[in-house]
Order: sequence, then structure tokens, then C-alpha cells
Amino acid sequence: MEIDTKGRLTFSGGTHPPEKKELTCDSEIKKGPAVKQVAVMLSQHLGAVCRPLVEKNEQVQAGQKIGDSDAFVSAPVHSPINGKIKAIGLQTHAVLGRSQAIIIEAEPENNPPKQLNADKFTDDFDENQYSAEQICDAVQEAGIVGMGGAGFPTRVKIEPNPRLPKEILIINGCECEPYITCDYRIMLEWTNQIIAGIKLARKASGCSKTIISIEDNKPKAIEVMSAAIQKCKNGNDIKVAAVKTKYPQGGERQLIKSLLNKNVPTGGIPPMIGVVVLNVATSAAIAEAVVCKQPLTHRVVTVTGEAIAKPGNYYVPIGTSVEELIEFCGGVTEKSAKVIVGGPMMGIAIADLTMPINKTTGAITVLTRKQIGRAKYKKRQTACIRCGRCLEVCPEHLMPTKIAHAVKNNLLDVAQSYYISACTECGCCSYVCPANIEVTGYIKTGKITLARQKKKMPK
Amino acid sequence: MLRDLRVSCSPHISEHLSTRSVMIDVIIGLIPAMAAAVYYFRNCALILIPTCIISAMATEWLCNVIRKKENSLGDYSAIVTGIILALSLPPRLPVWAAVIGSVFSIAIGKMVFGGLGANIFNPAMAGRAFLTVSFGALMTTWTVPAPLDAAMSKIAPENTIHARTQATPLAWSKEVIKGKSETKAVNEQLKATITGEVGGCLGETSAIALLIGGLYLLIRRTINIHIPFAVIVSAVAFAGIFYLSAPEKYAQPMFHLTSGGLLLCAFFIATDPVTAPLTAKGMWIFGIGVGLITILIRIVGEYPEGVMYSVLLMNAVTPLIDRFCKWIPAGGKPSV
Repeated sequence: MEIDTKGRLTFSGGTHPPEKKELTCDSEIKKGPAVKQVAVMLSQHLGAVCRPLVEKNEQVQAGQKIGDSDAFVSAPVHSPINGKIKAIGLQTHAVLGRSQAIIIEAEPENNPPKQLNADKFTDDFDENQYSAEQICDAVQEAGIVGMGGAGFPTRVKIEPNPRLPKEILIINGCECEPYITCDYRIMLEWTNQIIAGIKLARKASGCSKTIISIEDNKPKAIEVMSAAIQKCKNGNDIKVAAVKTKYPQGGERQLIKSLLNKNVPTGGIPPMIGVVVLNVATSAAIAEAVVCKQPLTHRVVTVTGEAIAKPGNYYVPIGTSVEELIEFCGGVTEKSAKVIVGGPMMGIAIADLTMPINKTTGAITVLTRKQIGRAKYKKRQTACIRCGRCLEVCPEHLMPTKIAHAVKNNLLDVAQSYYISACTECGCCSYVCPANIEVTGYIKTGKITLARQKKKMPK
Repeated sequence: MLRDLRVSCSPHISEHLSTRSVMIDVIIGLIPAMAAAVYYFRNCALILIPTCIISAMATEWLCNVIRKKENSLGDYSAIVTGIILALSLPPRLPVWAAVIGSVFSIAIGKMVFGGLGANIFNPAMAGRAFLTVSFGALMTTWTVPAPLDAAMSKIAPENTIHARTQATPLAWSKEVIKGKSETKAVNEQLKATITGEVGGCLGETSAIALLIGGLYLLIRRTINIHIPFAVIVSAVAFAGIFYLSAPEKYAQPMFHLTSGGLLLCAFFIATDPVTAPLTAKGMWIFGIGVGLITILIRIVGEYPEGVMYSVLLMNAVTPLIDRFCKWIPAGGKPSV
């Protein structure tokens, strides 16, 4: 069969930042550093923060549950290594600032690196040996969350909900962020594991149609996935769709627009229109959890950027510090200006390199001053000339400059009248702004301020 | 190695664009019009254009010094204002008047509002309006282009109008409307208005030069297609309505399009992003308004040319247009 790797499906707006995938796209997934210590965050997901299940100085085994919560929207955390609890305390968190973490000291002699599970899966995997409840429970127990970035607990996503029946399962392999290649490598190397995970997720959610979407700048991944789908059992209704390479194609709202030409309601979630979107890494984790009964304790992280000596994709324990990972990759070669958790478009610049990676960290990107650009580096902003570029690129059809200037002038009601809450913070507006205004930054500030105000208001 | 790290909000990379590069594009787009001005009006253009640029830049610098603000000459917007003002001035305008116009453009048209991005009116048009009301006679004295001085009869053999008034084609068409002259002579000027061999403001006579510059801006995506298209379509449409109602009285729509400042306005003046609406729908309302008011002033009003006032009028309603053309998010209005 001829595979069409040219993606014509797209959404309106968006930008084309330099892809920079060539730094790591050919580097196979390798085992990460043998860590001496990990810090497992108790909040690695959206929803309730876990409470620790262990105490200081307690011995833990790899895969042991060390934090859990009774809340519906939450996910437990597990120890990735054998070791002793050194402390339970505050640790730098990319989003929350500081958050509780369990720090585990490894036993050096008793810590074999975790084996990859990819070769345990073959193309004749049959998901019907598991019931939907079994799958949902295994996913919950394994603490699986959306690994693309948002970290929404996967159980909540795939569990059937009588009020919002799901019809279409979209597997997101777009990876539209520049630099990052972890999902691409997983698609090439763990193909059967991903497909097994897709089948399990399909079974659990009761979706009748499945689409795997991949940006057309990854023709190899499209071919490999299509070929594997052809061969695999029960894969007739799974379709591979090439989508146009454009940022933020991998945003779930944009992806749904591209594939189905439907808009997710503002402030709503995909199940409202009968869609579930899962990242490829998440579906690989589902397969691992259900079949191998292993919790989510490791993930693939792309360590990349022009300043990194040996950029590559590494399978590392969750809780490894950014510093350790960068050192493992040979450190930095030139003067680096920014260390970013995630990609350059939506990632978060950090100053404290002891910050641990968590379930949603797909990449560590180290940028030099040259990549950031002089104006951006100096944070020199000039006046808005109302050129309208931010309106053109906004994938959510908002008026970013209006919102940003309302926030700047402390007019939050005006910002709301321009639908500030509909912003997905993709960063396209700041990326194209000729005046170098941090449009996204102002919008984020406005959203946080609004959220704070709401909390203070009596009901 | 990993010291001195920067922390800021995402995104951490940006497109290599700056206000200056946008303005440089506009200046490049204006080069054909400036070249045409120099070709047709020789030393008049060579004096007026630099005069306006220099006095605009000096005014901006002075305003920044007075306001104790950072020097903003680096964004090159003063140069653009200076060029556009110069191109919309009559060739024989005295230098002192051009300086006054430039100073007014920058100081009152732009800086009193808070500088680039905050002005309500197009600075160059504000300056020109000031000159028109202050020095009406100077602003309506037109010179015949240099290559034509001796050979005017070649273009319009029985052109009696030239000898009498030395006016712009639009002024002639005004005479026609008033019943003092024939339409034929005016419509014969069409070819001349395309190449630019007619009397008029420095930069507005050559339709071809303006089209080349406008096309460059469109290809570079410095300007959006909406405003130029809307201005041209509406001007042609409304002029067409008049023409069809009484062909013997009114000039052809094509004549209205190529003569006067309409093309300069469509590509370089109305498209000034600061004073134009943000959304495509708003741009269309704005452009149609500019075209309509221009034609109304030209045909019904007292002045032969109406581009300047139509732009200023539409500038004034731009905030209102923006308010009416608010976008709704892709996912619809939030339910809460």
C-alpha cells in the first residue's frame, strides 16, 4: 500500500519555528544515568497533590507506591529505584514554584537499570484478554498521566463516562515543539508497545474509531507506524493520519480541529465532542502498566540544544535532577543562556538545576544566547504597532495584543471581554511579535491574577 | 558553564523580526515611488524628500529629549513618516513649509499621543492636513513634471486645460463636474496617470511605481491584502456608480483609481497598522470607508482630492471599528 506522508490536514493560525530536530532525531533511546538520588514530586499531574505513604529512613523497592491521593482527579507516584527515603520536603517545581517531594537515596549495589519492555510486545497482541475495568484500574495504579505536557490523569480520560460517551481516540504523535524527538524515537523503536497501548486504551474507552496523527516532517515514523498497523491484529479501524507540520499542531484542540474539523468548546474538554486524545508516550506507558504490571517510574527525555555536548534521548528514572542529566550528556560546551524544561516554545526556563524531571517532562533544552536572539535575551520590548501578526497566528482565534495590553494596564475585565481564559499559552503571539512584547507572558500573568481574585471572592 | 542562567516566560525563541525591519520594508516599498518622484520632478523631489526625513527625525529626537524618554529613532518610523509626507506634498512647496509639516506630523501627529503605536491619526496625513489648512494656496499649486514641460501638448493635443490651470487631472475632472470642461480630455489622461507624466503631488503621480512598491509589501507580508483591496474596490465601485449614472459628467473609475493619492493611500497610508483596525473584517470596513469618502469628496465635495481627509476620518473611527469587530474564540464564547 502506498503511504501518503504528506500532511494536508491543518488548522488556522500557527507558526513555523525552526524545527531543530536533527540534533537528536537519529539518536536511539539509551539508558540514562545510574542515579545516586531521586526526588519524586508529589504533584506531577493536574489535580490533587498526593500525600506521602512512606516515612523518613524507610526502605523502598523500585515500583513501590510512595504517594497517593483519594481524590478522583489524581495519580499515585512510585519509587523508580531501590533505596532509602532520605527526606520528604520542598523541591523546586517548574510550574508550582516549590512543592513537596520524596527524596530517595539509591543503594548503589542493588540498583540494576530498568529494562526496556519494547521487545515484549509483538504484532499479535490481543487486548481482549483484559476487561475495560482491569485496564482502567491498572492505569490508575500505575499512576499514568498525560505525558505530552499537561499531565492530566489518564484514567479520568479513558474511563467510560455515561454523560460524555467517547467515539474517537486520537493518538498524538505530532511533537510540534522544536528540538524534542522523544515521541518520534518511541514511535520508531517501541512501535508494537504503542500499538498495544492504543488497543488497550481503545478497549477501555469504548472508542470505535482510532486515529494516529503524526506531523509530516516525520515521514519515517508515519511509515513505520502504518506498516505496523497493517500487520497487527485487530488493527483494522486504526488509521494513521499525516498532519501538516506547524506549531502548535500537537495541541489537542488544534489537532482535533485538523483531523475532525471540529472545535472543542472554549473552556471545555475534548470528551464534550466525543474525543479522547492520548500522547504516544502515554499509550506506551498504558501497555507497560497493563501487560507488564509496571508503574510509570521511567520516561524518555530528550536532552538537547546547541550547547549540549552529547544530545540524545535517554530512558531515565522520574525524579532525576536536571543537573545530573545534563552532566550525563557531557555537560555544556558553550556558554549557555537558558535551561528549559520542555521545548523552547512552551517550556519553562529554570534557574535551580536540582529540579527533578517528572512524568510530563519530555525534554531538557539548553539554549545559547544566539538561539534566543539578541532582542529576546536583552528583554527589550518596544511599543505595539498593532501589526496584527499575533491575531494571524493565534490558533484559538483570539486577539492577543488586546488581551496583553489590557493585562498590562491592569484592566482584567477588558482582558476577560477578549476571552483571556480561552488562551492555550502556545506562545505563537510572542514568537512573531516584531516589537518583542511578551504577549503570552502578559496573558499568563492575567490568568493567574484572575484565578487568585476568584479564590478570594466569597461565593 | 551553567551559571548566569536567564529565566523568563515562554516562548524562548522568536522570529527574527523587529519594528525596524518592518519599517525598512516599508521604506524599500516606497523606493519606486521616490524614484518616480525624482524622475518626474527632479530637484524638487531631491530637496523635499530629505528635508522631510531629516526634520521628522530631528523632531522625534527633540520630543524624546523633552519627554525624557529613550531615543526611539532606531525604529525608523520617523523616516517612513517623513517619506510619506514628502511624497504627498506638491513639488514646488517651499522648504520651510515642508519642515513645518514634518514637525507637526511627528510632534502633534505622533509624539503627543505617546509616540509610535499610540497615535490615533496617521502622522503624515495629520501634517499634510495642517499644511493644507494653513497654506492652502501653496498646497494646491501644481507643477508639470520635468520631462513634460516642453512637450505637454504631445499627451493631450487639444488640452486647453494645461495652459489655463496647470492643475492635476483630478482638478480637471472637478472642472468637468462643474460644467466648465469636457470629460473626454480628462479620460484621455488615463495613460499619463498610470506612468505618472501628470501634475500632482511628488509621489502620487506614477501608478506603476506605487503598484510595484505595494506588491513588494504584499509579497513580504508587511501589509495585509485586505486594506489595499478594500480601498481600491470601493473607490472603483463608487466611482463606477457615478460614472454609469452620467458618463458625460464624471470621469471613468479607472481614472479615479490611478490619479491623485489613491494608490499611495491604498498601499502605504491606509495600511499604517497603528491607525488601522486589527481584524480582517475591520480592515474591510476601514478600506471601504476610505474609498467611499475619497470618491465623495472628489465628486460631490468642494476639494478635488479627498484621500487625506478620508484617511483621517476613518482613523478617527478605527477604535470604534475595532470594538465592533471583536473576534470570538475558535471554540465559541465560553459558557460561563
